[in-house]
Amino acid sequence: MTWLLLTPALLLMALIFGWPMLRYAWLSFHANSVLTGLVPVANGGANWMRLLADDRFWQDVLQTSRFALVSVTAELFLALLIALLLDQRWRGRGAVRALTLLPWALPTTMMALGWRWIFNTPYGPLEAVAGFVGLGPLNLMASPQWTWLATVVADVWKTTPFITLILLAGLQTIPADLYAAFRLEGGRSIQALRDITLPLLLPYILLSLLFRLAQAFGVFDLIQVLTGGGPAGSTESLALYAYFNAMRFLDFGYSATVMLGGFLLLSLSILLGALALRLSGALRPLQP
Amino acid sequence: MTIGRRTLAALLGLTLLFSFGLAWSGQRQIQRVNILMPAPFADATAELVQRFNRDHRGSIALRVTRGPRDTESISDLAISSLLLGSPPFDALLMDVTWLAKYAAAGWLEPLDSYFEPQEIDALVAGARLGNHYDGVLYRWPLIADVGLLYWRKDLMEAPPRTPDQLSSVGRRLMDDGAVNSGFVWQGRQYEGLSCDFVEMLSAFGGNWLNPQTGEPSLNSSEALEAVGWMRSLIRDGISPKAVTNYSESESLQAFKAGDAALMRNWPYAWAELQKPDSAVRGQVGVTLMVHNAGHQPAATLGSWGLSLLKGSDHPQAVIEAIRFLTSPDAQRERFRNQGYTPTDRSLFRDPEMLELSPILPDLEQALTHAVPRPPTPLYAQLSDVLQRQLSGVLTDDLAVDQAMNKAQINSMTIVEAAGGAS
Repeated sequence: MTWLLLTPALLLMALIFGWPMLRYAWLSFHANSVLTGLVPVANGGANWMRLLADDRFWQDVLQTSRFALVSVTAELFLALLIALLLDQRWRGRGAVRALTLLPWALPTTMMALGWRWIFNTPYGPLEAVAGFVGLGPLNLMASPQWTWLATVVADVWKTTPFITLILLAGLQTIPADLYAAFRLEGGRSIQALRDITLPLLLPYILLSLLFRLAQAFGVFDLIQVLTGGGPAGSTESLALYAYFNAMRFLDFGYSATVMLGGFLLLSLSILLGALALRLSGALRPLQP
Repeated sequence: MTIGRRTLAALLGLTLLFSFGLAWSGQRQIQRVNILMPAPFADATAELVQRFNRDHRGSIALRVTRGPRDTESISDLAISSLLLGSPPFDALLMDVTWLAKYAAAGWLEPLDSYFEPQEIDALVAGARLGNHYDGVLYRWPLIADVGLLYWRKDLMEAPPRTPDQLSSVGRRLMDDGAVNSGFVWQGRQYEGLSCDFVEMLSAFGGNWLNPQTGEPSLNSSEALEAVGWMRSLIRDGISPKAVTNYSESESLQAFKAGDAALMRNWPYAWAELQKPDSAVRGQVGVTLMVHNAGHQPAATLGSWGLSLLKGSDHPQAVIEAIRFLTSPDAQRERFRNQGYTPTDRSLFRDPEMLELSPILPDLEQALTHAVPRPPTPLYAQLSDVLQRQLSGVLTDDLAVDQAMNKAQINSMTIVEAAGGAS
């Protein structure tokens, strides 16, 4: 009976997730490019051998991971602070809660264009401020060492509200009498944060981490509009590289390999992360 | 109330008559032609389309679909619809760099049977390039386009001719405080950087692909010299550091504001510089990019043209629309209203046209030096690996020889994977 009820959901999953993955896997063992007249021709493991030897793929793996880890970490800390603040009672809280959602509601391409202007040299406001305090022209968007930080800043600005929302929802599920009892026992608020809030919030933190990491590893639109992958390829993400291969180079076999390679690496690291969490016992509060 | 048999029969009769009428009118159906263009070109042809539809009422209905403004975005849109099989478009306005790729993918219909050789001869030199792949005509030019050097007539007697002259005149004008920057161009990691590179490479006598073997020659001594010069422009401050993130629009902005003495850009910039909000209105000349003595100057071939897509239901009607949109009258109108460079040779000598724009002779001269980017289906890959390395050099991340060796190796890998020289 269980399986019967699950069937529609499983079928849907197979259709929207399973089939494309299988198709990608199949494509990754074929040459299918403008040179083959866009007809798939089996080429054994040639695409995968090329992937292993492709500096650019590995560089993009590192760059995408750096982007994802740094921006999601920053977002989590900021979101926690903001959520704690928005959970307190104060005048005008409702309006501020609504306003914090604004960046999240903006289309990514539009906000990326906005940031491109903010970081623009020499006409952007960032340069104006830097010039005012005597830091001279920063040329943030033309520095292979630092441009990735601009993508992180834009991403943090945009998606912190998303984590804030999840954490705020989590905070509201914590019963107020827990804090009251804690205070009666003479506990201080910083201890309450450590002993009550954070442990009970953990499922929500993990949930938002999962959502955001998956999203950040697949980052495309923000990078495409803000930097186009430059300068010197220093901000290119895996999704951008796969897109270049498919839409610009018309090499669908290799594009599928890049995407799948990235997916496998991500799955592997999530699996290892989950295993480490389980072994370390950090998930104990979650167990029933 | 009952409906009489007679009424019913009459109704039935009328219905029958009506459907016959529909079927008959379907016989001489209007031929719908849909052309995809980037928004600025679509806007520039709006009036022409209206006129075409007025003249062809009842036979052809032409529609121009406004696509995205950005060259890469519109290519993405076109490719997505082409990949799905039956594109909703009959023709496409194509950038010169797409041609080989689209033709090799089998998306384009040959045009040789529709256009006469004399018609090709009537085109200005630069407009004759970039329309063929493997000797087959796939594109009919709508707009000629080449890279130009813009110079400030109020700051110098004559434009610089050699790379050294350019550097020194830029430096002098900056030292005098006349401008903030000597020379602005396109240094962002994108296609514009490849366009600039083609011109500067030629200035030092180099070629992207070796003309004999067809193989990449990006680490030739000429190429190293050219890239070294590009980097020195930024290192010596003749071009601002920000140039490494400039596309055409940022360069134009700086030059239009009077911040720079020289600019590399396309012909469209001239009309922009004559607008009332321009600080350099009436003080701008155009010429060919600088080059060392003994070498050919090069103007990178841009240009847009119309291609007939495979699978169009009524190619004859599409060709009629293409002929109309590319006719000398249409070119004259686009030149007058939007400043788009014509493709018909005779228009460059036309007194009315010359009155509209004093730079037409300079444009014609530049068009005779038009140099296409490598016309291979693999161009996008080749350009991409080059841009990455150039961007690395310009942002001071990489040494010139190291970067160009890398670009050479990566380009060779691409060409070899495709089965030898392209």
